[in-house]
Amino acid sequence: MREDFGPPAHDSLSRYFPYTLQERTEKMIIVNGFAGLTQGAFFAIIGILLTLMSQLTRVVNFSQLAVGMFGGFVGMTLMMNPDIQLNIWLALVVSIVISAALSGIIGWIIATWLPSAPISNRSAVTVAALLLIVSTASVLFGANHSNFTPIVSGNVTQFTIPGGQIVFVSQSLVALLALAFVILIASSILLKRTMFGVRLRAISDRQSAAELIGVNVKVLNVGVWVISGALISLAIGFVPATISNDYISFSLLIIGGSAAALVGAFKNPWLALVGGLLIGALQGVCSAIPQIAPYRDWVVFILILVFLLWNQRKEVWDVAR
Amino acid sequence: MSLVLNDVTVSRGVGPVISNVSLEVKPGQITTLVGPNGAGKTSLIEAIAGVITPSGGTIVMDDVDITKLSKRKRSRAGLSIVEQGRMIFPSLTVKENLQLTARTKADMDEALALFPELEKRLNNQSILLSGGEQQMVVLARAFAAKPKYLLLDEMSLGLAPVVFMRLLPVIEGIAKSGVGVLLVEQFAHLALKIAQDSVVVTSGRVSYQGDPKALLKDAELLRQKYMG
Ligand SMILES: Nc1ncnc2c1ncn2[C@@H]1O[C@H](COP(=O)(O)OP(=O)(O)OP(=O)(O)O)[C@@H](O)[C@H]1O
Ligand SMILES: [Mg+2]
Repeated sequence: MREDFGPPAHDSLSRYFPYTLQERTEKMIIVNGFAGLTQGAFFAIIGILLTLMSQLTRVVNFSQLAVGMFGGFVGMTLMMNPDIQLNIWLALVVSIVISAALSGIIGWIIATWLPSAPISNRSAVTVAALLLIVSTASVLFGANHSNFTPIVSGNVTQFTIPGGQIVFVSQSLVALLALAFVILIASSILLKRTMFGVRLRAISDRQSAAELIGVNVKVLNVGVWVISGALISLAIGFVPATISNDYISFSLLIIGGSAAALVGAFKNPWLALVGGLLIGALQGVCSAIPQIAPYRDWVVFILILVFLLWNQRKEVWDVAR
Repeated sequence: MSLVLNDVTVSRGVGPVISNVSLEVKPGQITTLVGPNGAGKTSLIEAIAGVITPSGGTIVMDDVDITKLSKRKRSRAGLSIVEQGRMIFPSLTVKENLQLTARTKADMDEALALFPELEKRLNNQSILLSGGEQQMVVLARAFAAKPKYLLLDEMSLGLAPVVFMRLLPVIEGIAKSGVGVLLVEQFAHLALKIAQDSVVVTSGRVSYQGDPKALLKDAELLRQKYMG
């Protein structure tokens, strides 16, 4: 979300030499828009997980990214520690396990103490968890931490757009997109084809009635939390180092993810994918236009606002009809 | 061996809505519970199922005190409830609704045998079924759990009498198979006809307990007991 989302470093100025500023901006819109897709795919994964969680466990999980971040930093610390020097794959496994456990604990707390509270109260707990995790991270890891080392780096391919600009397809983008599709397809199979999924849908329909027929709501809810924690941690493993600056701004990427979920109204995970990519690309495009580049983080905010207004207008219209 | 309520009191917001009610549901029998709107029938059923906790008294199922057990544990112990309203899981198919409680293929088949007309609806989303069919799904689902005791709260609500008449013989059959049934009904006459035992509740108190035949024979007695 910072400077790193400008043009890729190897696109040195000389490359633009033949063009005027205007022309250069036009070309960069495409290049940067594409570069923004990587962050967009990450937003999409957050949005998909937020959507699934809100449907299955009645919560908007604002702590989700913080949970993944925390696991990630533990993994990183073990990797960087000269005495331990954990292998990157083992560090990823450690991150996933810690994130999953931490997520499970938050889910267990909510399922135990607020089993039938409104979604707003349950979500408020996750805001508290977010703050607690971020402050714990600052105590544990301090200011001198390094960015996440992604398990993939470099580009899969590159192509030249008319005008000579080179667009890079990073491994991160491919990996994050693949993960997004895997989550979407696997979750839909799980929900439709397994008893675990059928029970989750029953809880989502009528929680109390599900309990009355013997469904263990608490265990299943915590299960969803654990899976979500593991998946976000895995996703963070693919995120390029440029995105993971520090734990506060990183944890706050949840806002972009929420905006993505909002595009699907927290109901449709496929639209959350579209929303995430759209937000990422738009932010990239904005960074290419010097006049609005400083305000590119506003894109998320404006998109949320537009969506809410549009949604409200639709409701008013429905009522009028 | 039976489902016994001893001196059960249930309070909700305003105060007690059920006061010192004692009754017994015997295996293989239908106990019909009737009473005017707001008498506390649903509250009593919910207390037995564990939706609300009684403020006094005990609930004992086959000599096990279940007063403090969670909904889920009561269900595991052999209690099934059909709540007031059409408690299908709307986004699930008919088959998935039944799979939630049927532990084996045999349980599933037995439940479907109650309502063969559901066979061709198995893969339909249950919200798309008619009201009567939805109640068939709910009853079949409760039966598929192989309960020892079955609590039925106003299954007839919003159904045409002729549709409800389709459910009655099935309820009788379930009882004959050994299940103790507590049947709460607004159609008092129909429900009393198939019962072996009956209870009238007015304003949270038992105003009559005993032979349903007596209530059926004597319309004046039933009216009196209803009025409390
Ligand atoms: N959730 C609740 N909170 C507070 N009071 C309630 C609640 N549900 C029911 N009551 C009150 O408890 C009393 C008994 O209600 P209940 O639903 O048990 O009666 P009922 O006999 O089932 O009525 P009906 O025949 O209309 O279904 C009523 O006075 C009702 O207003
Ligand atoms: Mg009632």
